[in-house]
Amino acid sequence: MERSEGNVKTKTPVLECRNVGRSFDSYDGSGKNEVLRGMDFEVYENEFLVLFGAGQCGKTTLLNILAGLDMPTEGEVLARGQKVTKPAPERGFVYQKTSLFPWMTVEENVGFGPKVRHLPEKEVQERVKKYLDLVGLTGFEKSYPNQLSGGMRQRVGIARAYANEPDIMLMDEPFGHLDAQTRYMMEEELQRIWQKEKRTVVFVTNNIEEALFLADRIILLTNCPTHIKEEYEINMPHPRDYVDPEFLRLRQLITDNMDLTL
Amino acid sequence: MIDSTTNSRFSTKQLIVIYTIISLVGLLIVWELVARFTSASMFLPPASEVLAAFARSFVEPIGQHTMLAHVGVSLYRVAVAFIFATIIGIALGVGMGYSKLFEAIFKPIFEFIRPIPPLAWIPLSILWFGLSDTGKFFIIFLGCFCFITVNTYDGAKNVDPELIGAARMLGASEKQVFFKIVLPSSVPYIFAGLQIAVTAGWSAVVGSEMIQSNEGVGWVIIRGMSTGNTVQIMVGIVAIGIVGFALANITSALERRLCSWNAQKGM
Repeated sequence: MERSEGNVKTKTPVLECRNVGRSFDSYDGSGKNEVLRGMDFEVYENEFLVLFGAGQCGKTTLLNILAGLDMPTEGEVLARGQKVTKPAPERGFVYQKTSLFPWMTVEENVGFGPKVRHLPEKEVQERVKKYLDLVGLTGFEKSYPNQLSGGMRQRVGIARAYANEPDIMLMDEPFGHLDAQTRYMMEEELQRIWQKEKRTVVFVTNNIEEALFLADRIILLTNCPTHIKEEYEINMPHPRDYVDPEFLRLRQLITDNMDLTL
Repeated sequence: MIDSTTNSRFSTKQLIVIYTIISLVGLLIVWELVARFTSASMFLPPASEVLAAFARSFVEPIGQHTMLAHVGVSLYRVAVAFIFATIIGIALGVGMGYSKLFEAIFKPIFEFIRPIPPLAWIPLSILWFGLSDTGKFFIIFLGCFCFITVNTYDGAKNVDPELIGAARMLGASEKQVFFKIVLPSSVPYIFAGLQIAVTAGWSAVVGSEMIQSNEGVGWVIIRGMSTGNTVQIMVGIVAIGIVGFALANITSALERRLCSWNAQKGM
């Protein structure tokens, strides 16, 4: 089996998800609608962890809980040993629909985090410059989000999360809305960015190719309620090839293990 | 529909201007013909006469002032009331949209006041403020502040929760979320409200100037009515129409400038 102890990680977890469950009251008030059950895993320093599963159910809820935007009804989330109770700039978030502030220019969006945290103006400017350069958007500082393409907006979203220099980056299907070609390009871009500026990443996707292209480790989730089915350590070197035999073997292995009953 | 591909002589922009002119000239011709050749001529002075009187009104005073002064006085009254309405409307609207507590306190009062037409307040306003300008400000204020409040409230209620979440994740405090996210994100709604409000306020000026006054475009009309001067009534109406049209265009131009980020929907 691919389950392993992990060989490259330092054993201090950045984030610990301890037996997390989440239920919502059902609409008629007659009972509970269980979305997450017994989620138990750690995220290690500078690891690229992919939470992979089909369908809509649970993944975003889990990411919101890791972020502190939502509270679990069972269990707890620890960030560097501290219980997560609210959103904090130590955890950066990249959204599926980018959620850039449309009335702000690109540089104002990227500088938003450092600015609201009252970093010195000079530092704010430096970070804006550094991370716009990192995502390849130098020259677009004064553009508004509605003037950019989907891929460019996603780059701004990534730069905005990076600009806070967070301890961990949470990415919620960031390329889910992009067309296939842009998506491949952005996956390569993200890989490049991440190699250059290592961060601990939790990346949610329902795309197996994307998961295999990016991940150090894949947690396979299964639906309703969402729980962990399997974990895979991915040790292929980067940049990865979509038609490499090992890539295709893992793809087959993981896909076969998915419950596609929905 | 204007289809620029079938007409190479004019651009779409030019055609819009041409059609606008045709529309206005057409209105004047119909008005002129109706006033001259039907029985309506008893109550409706012809366009040419009204326009001539309108032009004259800029040199010859109506009452104590020329038209420019009347328009100026009315605009001043609208401006003062409008500024108060904007401040109170935005504060109330954004407060009700953002805070459940604020909403619970102020929404019932607001919903009670909202459907009352501003003119219904005139008798009370005379009792409270006498015949001073304050009473007129009060009526115009009531005529426009509801629109600003309702729109701002809508805007603050419709802020994308993901934008608020994103701001919190980036480290914004509650206060920063309010001033940097909720408020700016409501700006297009606020502008829609201001645009309706400025026109509504300008309409309310006639009502407010029915409270005794010696100047203002509303007064020109009321005065025309009490002296049976239909031409003067029409001159007042034309002035109100032109200024109202200009105000609506100025606010929408301002909106296009300030909300250019909102030009393309569906992000």
